Amino acid sequence: MEIIKAEDLNFTYALGKTPALKNVSFSVSRGDLVAVCGATGSGKSTLLRLLKKEIAPVGDQRGRIFFGYIKDGKEGGFGFKNVEDMSTRESAEKIGFVMQDPEHQIVTDKVWHELAFGLENLGVKNDAIRRRVSEMASYFGIESWFEKNVNELSGGQKQLLNLAAVMVMQPEVLLLDEPTAQLDPIAAADFIATVAKLNRETALTVIITEHRLENVIPVATKLMALEDGRLTAYGEVRKTVAALAKDPKMLVGMPAAVRLFSRLSAKGECPLDVCEGRRFIEDNCVNEIRSLPVKTENRNHETALCFKNVGFRYDNRGADVIRNMSFEVREGEIFCLLGGNGSGKSTTLGLASGVLKENSGKIEIFGKKIKDHKGGALYRECVAMLPQDVRTLFIYDTVKEELKEVEFSPEMLPFDLSPLEDRHPYDLSGGEQQLLGLAKVLSAKPKLLLMDEPTKGLDAYAKKEIAGVLRELKKRGLTILFVTHDVEFAAAVADRCALVFRGEVTSEGETHEFFAANNFYTTAVNRMTRGFYDGLLRVREVEEIIRLNGGHKE
Amino acid sequence: MVVIKNNRIRNIIKILIPFVLIPAAVVVGVFVFDDRSYAFISLVVALLSVLLFVAGFEKRRTGTGRMAIVTIMVALTVTGRFVPYFKPVVALTVITGIYLGGEAGFLVGAMAAVISNFYFGQGPWTPFQMLAWGMIGLVAGFMGEVLKKGRIPLAVYGFFSGLFFSFVMDVWTVLWYNKTMDWNLYVEALVTAIPFTAIYVISNVFYLMILKKPIGGKLERICLKYRL
Amino acid sequence: MPAFSDYNPIVVFIYFLTVAGLAMFIMNPVILGISLFGALICFRSRTRGKKDRSSGLFIGLFLLLALLNPLFHHNGATVLFLINDNPITLEALLYGFTSATMVVSVIYWFRSFSLLMTGDRLLYVFGKVSPKFSLMLSMSLRYIPLFATQARKIKASRKALGLWKEDNLWDAVKGGIRGFICLAGWSLENGIITVDSMEARGYGSGKRSFYSRYSFSLWDLGMLILILALTSVVIVSKAMGALDFGFYPRIGGELMTGAAAGAYACYTVLVLLPLGQIIREAGYGREKERKNGNH
Repeated sequence: MEIIKAEDLNFTYALGKTPALKNVSFSVSRGDLVAVCGATGSGKSTLLRLLKKEIAPVGDQRGRIFFGYIKDGKEGGFGFKNVEDMSTRESAEKIGFVMQDPEHQIVTDKVWHELAFGLENLGVKNDAIRRRVSEMASYFGIESWFEKNVNELSGGQKQLLNLAAVMVMQPEVLLLDEPTAQLDPIAAADFIATVAKLNRETALTVIITEHRLENVIPVATKLMALEDGRLTAYGEVRKTVAALAKDPKMLVGMPAAVRLFSRLSAKGECPLDVCEGRRFIEDNCVNEIRSLPVKTENRNHETALCFKNVGFRYDNRGADVIRNMSFEVREGEIFCLLGGNGSGKSTTLGLASGVLKENSGKIEIFGKKIKDHKGGALYRECVAMLPQDVRTLFIYDTVKEELKEVEFSPEMLPFDLSPLEDRHPYDLSGGEQQLLGLAKVLSAKPKLLLMDEPTKGLDAYAKKEIAGVLRELKKRGLTILFVTHDVEFAAAVADRCALVFRGEVTSEGETHEFFAANNFYTTAVNRMTRGFYDGLLRVREVEEIIRLNGGHKE
Repeated sequence: MVVIKNNRIRNIIKILIPFVLIPAAVVVGVFVFDDRSYAFISLVVALLSVLLFVAGFEKRRTGTGRMAIVTIMVALTVTGRFVPYFKPVVALTVITGIYLGGEAGFLVGAMAAVISNFYFGQGPWTPFQMLAWGMIGLVAGFMGEVLKKGRIPLAVYGFFSGLFFSFVMDVWTVLWYNKTMDWNLYVEALVTAIPFTAIYVISNVFYLMILKKPIGGKLERICLKYRL
Repeated sequence: MPAFSDYNPIVVFIYFLTVAGLAMFIMNPVILGISLFGALICFRSRTRGKKDRSSGLFIGLFLLLALLNPLFHHNGATVLFLINDNPITLEALLYGFTSATMVVSVIYWFRSFSLLMTGDRLLYVFGKVSPKFSLMLSMSLRYIPLFATQARKIKASRKALGLWKEDNLWDAVKGGIRGFICLAGWSLENGIITVDSMEARGYGSGKRSFYSRYSFSLWDLGMLILILALTSVVIVSKAMGALDFGFYPRIGGELMTGAAAGAYACYTVLVLLPLGQIIREAGYGREKERKNGNH
């Protein structure tokens, strides 16, 4: 039975000129797991929020949204009611909502209190709260941190707590608005697995918008695509993907197998994950030519940054966070440090930027020790760092004022910020904020640019833009060192990569060699083609090698 | 047991507090603990006035957005109290009062006092701090329009609120130590506290001058955004 | 018998209020001596094994307060000596010592109070008075460590751009203020997420309940009655004048009357209540040691 039904939905924001949603009609059945894809500004979040009246945006709404419910009493059967006519209490109970930011969704200071918060709001009695909270904590496996302060949790745990705190109210529909955007890949996969389990085991209806569709597509039952507020495709996943395959713009952010299928304009069943992609390649392609010619770039061998046996600990009595760390970044290259949470990547950047001081070993920047760059010289036309959270740089009310704080001149940038000048920094999208942050950082005219997770929270489109900016900066002679969790991004832009594990560099090499030597910690394309082709990292490369091999079977 | 389910009883208690309990406290103070235990009386009065305010706040419907902003301002104020010597506590309380009204100002002052004392030490002085900072925020709210416009009224307000805080807290210091009001001790306490009072006054005026525009601007923007 | 810290927070709260309240308002040297003794023991029993670095500070405060009074008050019949023609009297000195005992003992009671009444327990007590206030406290306690972390991040990222220099005082102050403004903007802007998250979970949709994990058992009732009974005895003795003790012009009043002795005994029992469990725990510890020794 349908549980959500939208008819001819149109919506224009109170201050907006163009409608955010145009003639959107669809229905969702109980137990569906609907993945919603579309670029930033396509109306995904607006749609999700309109389904939840307490947090619905203000504006002009036409068309109706119905919530399907099971009738009480003797009548039996099903009924529909307008979402707007639901009481806030009913809406709170029946429809759960989890947002992107794990941090600020948490209201109270203790895990147990956060779980109880929603039930308190509904006026549930003490004993019933106790029962439901403990049931939820057991189901989610959060008993071991039940008593903790929320600030002791990791980002992934926080987001699981947000989910549990909603599920404790026993909703029938769960709306997830980019819930894993701020999480590292492992926590993101865990989160999606939990959602899939809830969907499977309790017939929970889920509607989820995501940047990282590779985790969601395999568990989704339906896929919905939005473009400029219009519903362009909706239905069973494989069919919808096939329908979208003609429109490469919609495919950014799709699993690698889907993108490959689309680039080849192949026909038939679209592969959705690594397994199916592998089968598709083996069945349809030949591998007489197994690898692409290696492009050799003329490289400068001057050293921009050098770590030699560096050791560091935050606390004199504590354990070493960085131990015996050695690596070199050469002038004019893009160097990437990869690694899991707590491996010491960000600490390494802190050391390189001079914010932290090494306990042992030697760090040199352009041949000079950090402390020999005296009187702030380090931060004048030498080193600058783009922080993980660029909002730590914003203090003014407009983009223009932000840029005035630093000695900014537009020609320094490979991108244009002038259309954003009068906007408030916090009204920008994540990608625009990143560009503004980068503009502030580049105003220091650095020769060495350090970046901490430059793609965190960004959608696939914004990632592409950042990648382009990095390549352009490299062309202008900048040396770039960035750390990331994002294997695909590293493969797309870095010249050389290194893996940090427990405070040490354990492997290092040219990007292609580096990933080709890894079995698990590598791109989806590499995992998909391993053994059949050699050293391929990106969809574009597979496309090329298949072309060199004479194309795929129709 | 302690939860009072019945609304009428609750309301009766709320009326009882100001009209019966406060006078009763005074009487008990006078008869049981000498006729000179003004410290006891003043403590009870301070505590009850804070309670009374909180009871009023509890009864009113406050929008979620408003409540969240006030809470954030409380947390910012507590964070600000960790600045060595020159603390922006009063400035933030006053700014909240100006932009969000007297009730919000009182709450920020009072809550910042009780919460920051978890870190700086709770004691019988807590209710007085709550009351003193709360009043500064409350009055700032009443004078919101004046303070919003001019820099000079704002500086004057910062100056006097610094003095006010010292004068109130020293009354308590003397009462606590000496049981009765002793003007010699009070003057002496005020004189000893001059360096501290000077620091209060300077930091109030300084922070108000510097923070009013940026933080006030952010509060105004947020109020729009939260649809307050 | 539950550990003292395991009693219902309201009982513990009332305990500290009465025990410190009595000390604050009964100017009787014996009562105050008992209070200081009990406060120190209670505090030390909660910080076993840890060095109390601030004890020096409080000894200093005690001496300061004790010696301050005779310098300001010159009434009292027994002149010890003169400073600048002002008599320093024995009575004023004793009054100073008694006052200092009161102040320091109350401070120590509150230090134990802070150790026992941790966030959750205090929120429970406040929640009984005002659930809304209690929720705001809980939210603040969630925000404060979050803001502290963010403040560190802001400092690091602005430093690495040369926007926060610490070469001279003015630069440091300017950097700090801008960092604070940044923090204020960040927290207020993101607050809207909290608001959405609260409303999405039905905040404001009707009457709230208040979830507490503390129950009120017979033990709690017993303890509460005991506390109130002991307190009443002391108050009644005080009201009847049995605990009156004058300092000026001459030290006067019987300290050791029968009625007073009863009040002292009751107050002693009162200040030692938190120790009941400690003694048991100590016994348990010894037993455990013995057991471990056998292995």
